[in-house]
Formats: sequence, structure tokens, C-alpha cells
Amino acid sequence: MRDVAVIGVGMIPFGRRDEDTLMDMLAYASLKALDDAGLGDKSVDAVYVGNMGGGVIQHQTAIASSLVDRLSLLPAAAETVENGPASGGSAVKAGLLAVASGYYDTVLVVGGEKMREVTGWRATDFVATLTHPQVEYPYGITLPGMAGMFTRLYMEKYGVTREALVSVAIKNQEMGGLNPYAHVEMAITKEGIFDDPAAIVNNPVAADPLHLYDACPVSDGAAAIVLCPLEMLKSPAKPPVIIAGFGQATDTQTLQEREDPTDLKAVTLAAQQAFERARLKPSDIHVAELHDAFTILEIAESEHVGFFKKGEGAKAALAGKTRLGGQIPINVSGGLKARGHPVGATGVAQVVDIVWQLRHELPKNRQVKNAQNGLTVNFGGFGNNVLAFVLRRVEK
Amino acid sequence: MKKEIEIVAYRCKKCGKIHYPFHDRCLACKSREFEKIKPEGMAKLLTYTRIYNLPWGFDQRYLTIGVVEFENGVRAMGQIHVDESAHLETGMVMKPEWGPVRKQYGEAVYGLVLKPAG
Repeated sequence: MRDVAVIGVGMIPFGRRDEDTLMDMLAYASLKALDDAGLGDKSVDAVYVGNMGGGVIQHQTAIASSLVDRLSLLPAAAETVENGPASGGSAVKAGLLAVASGYYDTVLVVGGEKMREVTGWRATDFVATLTHPQVEYPYGITLPGMAGMFTRLYMEKYGVTREALVSVAIKNQEMGGLNPYAHVEMAITKEGIFDDPAAIVNNPVAADPLHLYDACPVSDGAAAIVLCPLEMLKSPAKPPVIIAGFGQATDTQTLQEREDPTDLKAVTLAAQQAFERARLKPSDIHVAELHDAFTILEIAESEHVGFFKKGEGAKAALAGKTRLGGQIPINVSGGLKARGHPVGATGVAQVVDIVWQLRHELPKNRQVKNAQNGLTVNFGGFGNNVLAFVLRRVEK
Repeated sequence: MKKEIEIVAYRCKKCGKIHYPFHDRCLACKSREFEKIKPEGMAKLLTYTRIYNLPWGFDQRYLTIGVVEFENGVRAMGQIHVDESAHLETGMVMKPEWGPVRKQYGEAVYGLVLKPAG
């Protein structure tokens, strides 16, 4: 197997992009990544597109075939990868394996989603289609609903408080305000959430015990990366970053069939595999992008990947250990909570943000000083299909 | 979508693990032999939530949904039909009923409905 380097990255601002089609967004992000890789007028061997909802929301299928045509990348091999909210991570994995195996030398991976084209009702229903079609979906369960039930159990088992959840939301929205690619740019305060009489209107219950500010927004957006073998980089213009390890694991589709529903086994296993393949351990990681579709998930994942012991994640968040400058900065981009969560884009966007961190390309107020190793976790379903990537800066 | 959400669980004939929904192979021992069982008795509320941002297909202000465990070990999701002000807590005993949980093309879809016992 060959070491695989990320030689180009690109992202477009997430948010509500009424003027763009899904294909526009995928193309814009791809061109940015190709330019960043110095491949402006060249082709690639293969393209993998992470997308969850094109067939449902845009009534469009075979999206990768359409993209290579639009980008004049013909006759590159092309596939669309659908794996729910982990579609982006799965597309990265497909590209990684293709290059590592030696089948392809240059691969473009792009993830994108256009979710604001439909009403909130429809978007909520679209994401809920990943729940079990016979024993969950008919009851009207939503992903916020799954997260609400999970949060209640986590709070009861580990004593997680609303203050801890709010601390994650405050941190990530603060960082989102500094990120030009973030959907949510509004800072929030603890006083505004707990003491302001308007909070009941501004931050209503979404899925008890979770409130609006505990959830990521519904976003449009796209992100892309270009991969090639590290051995082919002779005199790179930018510090090379390799995908040093990846892991993926699955769990039962329904929460009810998990012996302990608070145990996110797939997160633990995916992270362990990624660390083992990278020959690194959690304490070697300098910056992480975790899948905080809901504030509780950042806390729970920070424990399950090994940054903190079970039950200690909330205390760590409250103590500022996950802030920029803390023990392990998490979601310095603003995370899904503030950068946004165009589902198919997220897994790719997380890698883009970590590459920027490891290249030391971000402004001081978002850069983790001297970051060498980063982790991403892309959480599909409600934790039933999870991918983790460890990225490492190499000096060449 | 079926008009009725059947609750038939499957007990592995080899190791006894109870499955709901159906799996072709036992999640514990990989056996393919199961006996069908119905949920029995009252149900203990394992967790729940009240959702205010509803998906397409629900024309109401909120939905209360929970996961319960029946006395014979079958676990299932169901709708909790109570007023918004009703007190709920994990561990409380719920009375299972069979009732309408949503409408599909103007017709009711029936499934597990839960109400606090007593």
C-alpha cells in the first residue's frame, strides 16, 4: 500500500445558496481543489462524489457522471457514493483506497448537498429516511428525535448538564463567526440562553431535552480534495499532508437493539482502527473535527475516540479543554454546528479543515499552533456507520 | 408504507437473543433459526423525546416518541399519546395499545401507542 497525500483542497461557503444548483456547488469546490493541487488544466484518473440526497431532493441521479462531464475530466472513472450523513467520509475512503492500492494515481473526491431547496418539513423527512423503514420511520422519528433520546440517556448515565451542552454550542458558534465558510456566524452567550426571557422564542425545545442551539443547521455546500501517492510528490509547493490512517465500523440500525444505547461502538472501533493504521494514539492528535450534528455528539465522540474517559467529556468541554488553545481543540472550524451540515459534504469538509490546520494556513485566531496530526469523525445514521481519518503533516 | 406496523419479534432458537426488527442471522450467534414472539405485558420506558420540528406527513404541533421494553424483553419504538404537560420519566411503566400513529394518503397507519399505566 502506498502513502496517500492530500495535494489539493477546496470548499465553498456553506449556508443557503439559492443561486446555485447541486452541480454548481460540486463544480466550484472541485475547481478550487484542482487549482490548489496545481492541476488547473489537467485531468484526474477517478472522481468520487459523496452525496446523500440528490436522488430524493433534486430528482437527479448519476451525479458523478454529470460532474466529470461538466468539469471536462472525461474519461476519468466516476462514482457517486451514498452512505447517509457519512457519504462524504465514504467518498474520501474510496479515493484513499484507490490511490493506496495503486489502481489510480490522481483522484478527486468531492462531497456536496443542496438541502435548502425544500422546506424544513421535507428536509427533516429526507434525513429521517435513514431510520428503519418499518419500526422507526412510520412513527415520525427524526434525527433530532434520535439525538434527543440519546441525550436523555447520556445525561442520566453520566450527569451531563445543559450547561455542558450549551458550552459546546457557544464555542462552535464563536468559531463559526471567524470562519468565512461557516453557515452560522452568530455568536451566542450563556446569559442569552439561560437568563434572557426571549430565549424561549430564540432557542425553543427542538427534541426534548435538546434545544434549537444544540442542533446543526440545514445547509447547502460542497467541499473537495485531490489525492495522489506521496511518493509522486517531488517538490511540493505546500507542506504535504497524508491520510495516515482510516477506520470504519457499523452498529445496529435501531437504537433499541444496542445493549447500551449510550455506547457508540462504531465510533470507538473506527477511531481505534484509524489510530492503529496511523501508528498514533489519541494523545498524539493536535486538532480534531468531530461530527457535532448535535452538541451531545461532540461530547460523546470526544470520549469514544479516546480523548477523555467516559463521562469526562462534558467536564472537559466546560473546562475549556476543547477550545482553541486547550488540551485538544475540537471543531475549530465551528463544526457541523456552525460551519453547517450539507450531509454529503461534511466528511470531505472535515478533511479540508484539518488539511488547512496541518499546513498552518489558517489565520492566527483559528490556527492550532504547530499542529502536526489531526482526526476527523464522520458519523452516519445515528452512529450505525462511522468513518474516522487520521491525517499527518510530513516534512519532505 | 404498510397500513399496520406489525410488532413481531424473533427469538434466536440457539442462543435466545430477542430481535426486533427481523434479522436474517442472529446478532449474537449468527444462527438463522428463530421463533416468532409477540410483546407481552406492560412496557418500561427506556427513553423518550418530544419533537417539535416534525417531518413531512405530520400535521400537528409535536410528537412524543419513546423506546420501551416489554416484560418478555422485546424492545420497540412507539408514540406516546399524552398531553404536553404530562410528566414522563425513564423507567416508568407504560400501557401498550394499538392505535393510529400517522396518516398515509388519507388513511390511518396503526402502530404501537403508549400511555402511562395507572
